[in-house]
Amino acid sequence: MDNETLLRVILLTPLVAAVVSAFFFRRSRVVAPAISVTAAGVILFASLALLLGLDPANPTASATLPGFALGGFTELETIGLSVDKNGAAMLFVVTFVAFWIHVFSVGYMDDDKARGRFFAGLSVFMFSILGIILANNLFMTFIFWELVGFSSYMLIAHYWDTDYAAMASKKAFIANRVGDLGFLVGIILCYAQYGTTNFAELEVLIKSGEMTFTSIGLLLMCGFLGKSAQFPLHVWLTDAMAGPTPVSALIHAATMVAAGVFFMVRIFFLLTPDVLTTMLWLCAGMAALGGLCALGQTDIKKSLAYSTLSHLGFMGAAIGLGLPEIALLHMAMHAFFKATLFLCSGSIIHACHHEQDMTKMGGLLKKMPITAAAFVVAGLSICAFPWMAGWYSKDMILSGAYLAGNIPAFVALVIAAIGTTLYTGRMFAMVFLGKAHGHGAEHAKESSAWMTLPLIVLGVIFSLGAGWFLAGTNGISWLGGKMNALFPTVATEAFAHGYHDLHDKLAAAGLVAPMFILGVVILVVGLGLAVVFYRTATGEDKLREHSPTLYKALEYRYMDTLYAWYIEKVQQRFAMLVAMLDTALVNMLAMRGVVAGVPAILGSVSRRFIQNGNGSVTVFWIAFGALAVAAALVSGVLS
Amino acid sequence: MNCGSSLLQVAVAAPLVAALVMVFSKWLPCAAKKAVAGVGFVVPALAALALCCAFPCAEKLGGYAFYSSCETIGVPSLGIWLQFGLNGISLPLFLMATIVGLAAGLRAIATKGVAQSGLYYAVTLVMFGGVLGVFSAIDVFSFYIFHEFALIPTFVAILLWGGYARKTTAITMVIYLTLGAMVSLAGLFALYFAGAGAGEYGFSFLGVAQAVADGIVLDGNVSVIFALLLFGFGILVSLFPFYSWAPDTYSVAPTPISMLHAGVLKKFGLYGLIQLGALALPLGLADWQNWIIWLALGNIVLIGLITMVQKDLKQMVSYSSVMHMGPIFLGIAAFAISGGDTAGLGGAVVLMFAHGLSVALLFHLGQSVYDRTGTYDMTKMGGLTAKAPVLAAFFVAATMASIGLPGFANFWGELTIFTSLAQIQPTWLLGAIVLSIVISAIYGLRAVAKIFYGKNTGAALSDEAFENVSDITAAERVPAIVLFAALVAVGFVPSLITKNIDATLKTDFAPAAKVLCADCGVVPAETDGDAIILEGSIPVEVPADNCEACGGNADQVVLAKNITVSVDGAVGNPGDFVLSGDDATLLKVLEQAEVDEEATFVVVLRVRARIPVDIEELRNGDVEDIPLEDGDKISVE
Repeated sequence: MDNETLLRVILLTPLVAAVVSAFFFRRSRVVAPAISVTAAGVILFASLALLLGLDPANPTASATLPGFALGGFTELETIGLSVDKNGAAMLFVVTFVAFWIHVFSVGYMDDDKARGRFFAGLSVFMFSILGIILANNLFMTFIFWELVGFSSYMLIAHYWDTDYAAMASKKAFIANRVGDLGFLVGIILCYAQYGTTNFAELEVLIKSGEMTFTSIGLLLMCGFLGKSAQFPLHVWLTDAMAGPTPVSALIHAATMVAAGVFFMVRIFFLLTPDVLTTMLWLCAGMAALGGLCALGQTDIKKSLAYSTLSHLGFMGAAIGLGLPEIALLHMAMHAFFKATLFLCSGSIIHACHHEQDMTKMGGLLKKMPITAAAFVVAGLSICAFPWMAGWYSKDMILSGAYLAGNIPAFVALVIAAIGTTLYTGRMFAMVFLGKAHGHGAEHAKESSAWMTLPLIVLGVIFSLGAGWFLAGTNGISWLGGKMNALFPTVATEAFAHGYHDLHDKLAAAGLVAPMFILGVVILVVGLGLAVVFYRTATGEDKLREHSPTLYKALEYRYMDTLYAWYIEKVQQRFAMLVAMLDTALVNMLAMRGVVAGVPAILGSVSRRFIQNGNGSVTVFWIAFGALAVAAALVSGVLS
Repeated sequence: MNCGSSLLQVAVAAPLVAALVMVFSKWLPCAAKKAVAGVGFVVPALAALALCCAFPCAEKLGGYAFYSSCETIGVPSLGIWLQFGLNGISLPLFLMATIVGLAAGLRAIATKGVAQSGLYYAVTLVMFGGVLGVFSAIDVFSFYIFHEFALIPTFVAILLWGGYARKTTAITMVIYLTLGAMVSLAGLFALYFAGAGAGEYGFSFLGVAQAVADGIVLDGNVSVIFALLLFGFGILVSLFPFYSWAPDTYSVAPTPISMLHAGVLKKFGLYGLIQLGALALPLGLADWQNWIIWLALGNIVLIGLITMVQKDLKQMVSYSSVMHMGPIFLGIAAFAISGGDTAGLGGAVVLMFAHGLSVALLFHLGQSVYDRTGTYDMTKMGGLTAKAPVLAAFFVAATMASIGLPGFANFWGELTIFTSLAQIQPTWLLGAIVLSIVISAIYGLRAVAKIFYGKNTGAALSDEAFENVSDITAAERVPAIVLFAALVAVGFVPSLITKNIDATLKTDFAPAAKVLCADCGVVPAETDGDAIILEGSIPVEVPADNCEACGGNADQVVLAKNITVSVDGAVGNPGDFVLSGDDATLLKVLEQAEVDEEATFVVVLRVRARIPVDIEELRNGDVEDIPLEDGDKISVE
């Protein structure tokens, strides 16, 4: 198959799968998962076929689908699909992680009643996220951006009968829409400004000297803030954990939230220094905040969700520092180890009969050895253990901040890194060490192969070695140069240049060794402290025992409280006021006052009709009207 | 008279004939009544589908396919006579009307325990016939009459089968809508007496446009007339602040009537503003664009806020339908704001199409929810998904369509409209307008969560009653699928309707666009967007070739080598004549047709004009010979 066909297959396969399973196999327990997993497999193979066939020096491919045009709005006349080096990297990461999460889902959802709906939802999501990756202009990105929000909504609402999921799904969708408001305005202004929204054409325009605008950059950034859950729109992500765990792994850790970062990297050339500074502060702050707040959660998934916020903050901060390639690298590495951590938590939750509270777990190390192994590898990777996936990207962001001389940002990121080691160590200590503190954990056993196989692939193999293509200067090349370590060579192009460039700069500044030592110190001290501190016999969170005030601060309810206050006390009251004014002014005064004469005349006429009517008047009207039209038509036909 | 135009006439006539049969409903068995009504609802939908397929290749007169006219209805000497036809703008709306009508009809037929069911069907059918007439009429007079024709049944239906406070509501509605109709009628009269209908210009959309373009109507009057049309039609479309009638009417009216009114009949005003206002009076539109912007913003933000606090499902859907009129008005205003870019108008038509379907679907499903819970109060419901998962799925889909999710037709309309507003000043207004996507998400998702998610609150349904709730029935499912399918089809393949819309906009609206762009003068230097403005405003004189299937036909239209005219009246050889370019004058045709000796007078009727000529003067050369156009009708007296 040629590249065009492959691109179309990649985009449309999940759509077909979703439609088929939603309309025909809704109640099936076997067929819908089979369709969905097969679709994910087809996408993975098609992507690999596409990526391995591309020229690493110039990794581009494009195809078109029919669109529409109205008047001067011709931007969507053809729906263009394209892959460039960034797209290639994202395509590989997303399709690979997604396939294994699909496999995991088969095991995780084995006792669910609505498997058809769940897997159809996953396929809709795949369609949407692939659309974002393959989109070649801003309008197309927006279309799939919205669809991603919708599929996230539907999957969060999977357990619709709980009030929590109902609230969380709504919140996620609306928070995303708030971001999309700015995003769409930004796109429209960009279109008005440059006359195109095609990424390649925009880049050419900017490089040829067209001005960039802070306003457009900030507006486009709103989309990122919503989708990647950064301040002040971050509140939805932790609640989104109400969805099934594979959804949290796929959508709310590895791919959808990372799409915001991917998008910002794509439009990096449009961002002015002011936009970058704004992003740096918002994201570095979020990184530190998320890293610490993860310590204030006992729900294992919520703790991981704060970790995701923190690491998305890392990526945003990297963009803010002017290191888009490193941001993308961290996004890719994060996708593997964070997906693994979520899948581990899924495996644990499933084994503990849907218990999510870490204080009720413990002692799972021996009962679930594969899950524990995957957790250890992914945990070390997220803590940036040298030469593991997270080390390549996360330490580079720290170094980049230091190299840029931005000490406040550097400090925030160091706090975030320490936070990472602390919450990872805490999670390990509370879940795997000690003895079981709950009924679920006592009877836990290792999950089925559907779940452990993805853990091994994503956890043990990729969380360990995903970054090895950066080892040395040329990585580890095989298959005639088409593969580099665990990645297709084409998919590594987006990172390699930026990484080695920054590495050279660090070496020139003599910072390689100090940064390495700093990383190791953070790792050893943080992890050690956490494991020692949080090892518990009672199952109670040690921090909550020792310092309830600090723990409460880390629970971080402030923004939720603030928004709840705004919605209830401001927005809702204002809306009530408007509704009252509507009734009082428009409905009563204008209606009965100003046009009082008209009601007086017409009202009496109408009333007479009603009283005398008993149907005959209406029949008369109908007959009269029908006759008139019939006459018209008859004479029309005769002429 | 080709078969397309007959089909169009049949489509409009079918519901009216079926309604006529209902006069004998006393003597008809129940099943027969339903069957007749069913035929009345189904035939137009099938006809509309056929017309849609035939449209790209159909022969067009002045942009109108399936053209037919009838001089005996109306007074040709006053420029008023019945003309039927569909162009790219009316076609999708006609199709939408038939789909919504079909769904509403099926809903009406499936309703159990209606008093005087024959009359009920008849009223719905007459309304249906009326709205079909609205979108297929080309002459302004019948366009208006058909609207009144559809409006009266609404009133009757509310009075006879309405819900709570039906008399007050019906009277409120009548006052408001009569007021609106009177104001817009005043505008139409003004237009007519300003000269647009008189003389050589027929009182059709294109005739009026031609007259105004030729300067028949004074520039000062254009603005006043447009204002009359804007506020008259505005009341009918529930433009802020003339909307109070709408929520009450829709929540009190029987559901099929709400579906037809909110979905289709309400679009009458918008359709008029596009086909008459924007087409014929672009300068009026330019004068009033700021009014439209601010009032439409009232629709979006203020009505949006009011929608958010509604507890009653039907009220909420009604208010949301008022809110969604805002973007459509803005799409029309965008024609002037952007200096003649027709994208906004196209978006408005797409959104009218989509909103008609989605609001009808919401009313339909809302009634289904009511049938199960016995209340419209959303705070008393909850967890309905457990018992009615398919209904829930449809409701979520309808909500998503209504809040503009990609994949549904509404999205393309909204996106195009928002984009076409890029030139709006001050720029922050764009943000306020796009706020609609947030507001609609808030109330839409709240409704879904309250009705279908969580657990049964027990307020409306006891636990036992909840256990007995059944999922969507076949009678409810069919209308829902019909509406849903249309929304999704256009949602995934928008070019299904946009191709025709765009072709009409490019040809018919080119003169108006030119006027607006000449009017916009110097484009502010700081907007590099003038590329867009120009792109939209360069009038495309050659009709776009939207007719790949039939190849050469399009060329024929452009070159107009052979034309067909029909001659009747006092001639020895009446019938159709095929003429080639040089022969296509009135005198030559009259020779061929062998005019009777005693004939003194001849009238040429075409889409945009009516030209009376004295034969004596024509022969003597006192008046110039008249070049004929394809489709002219010549009647000799």
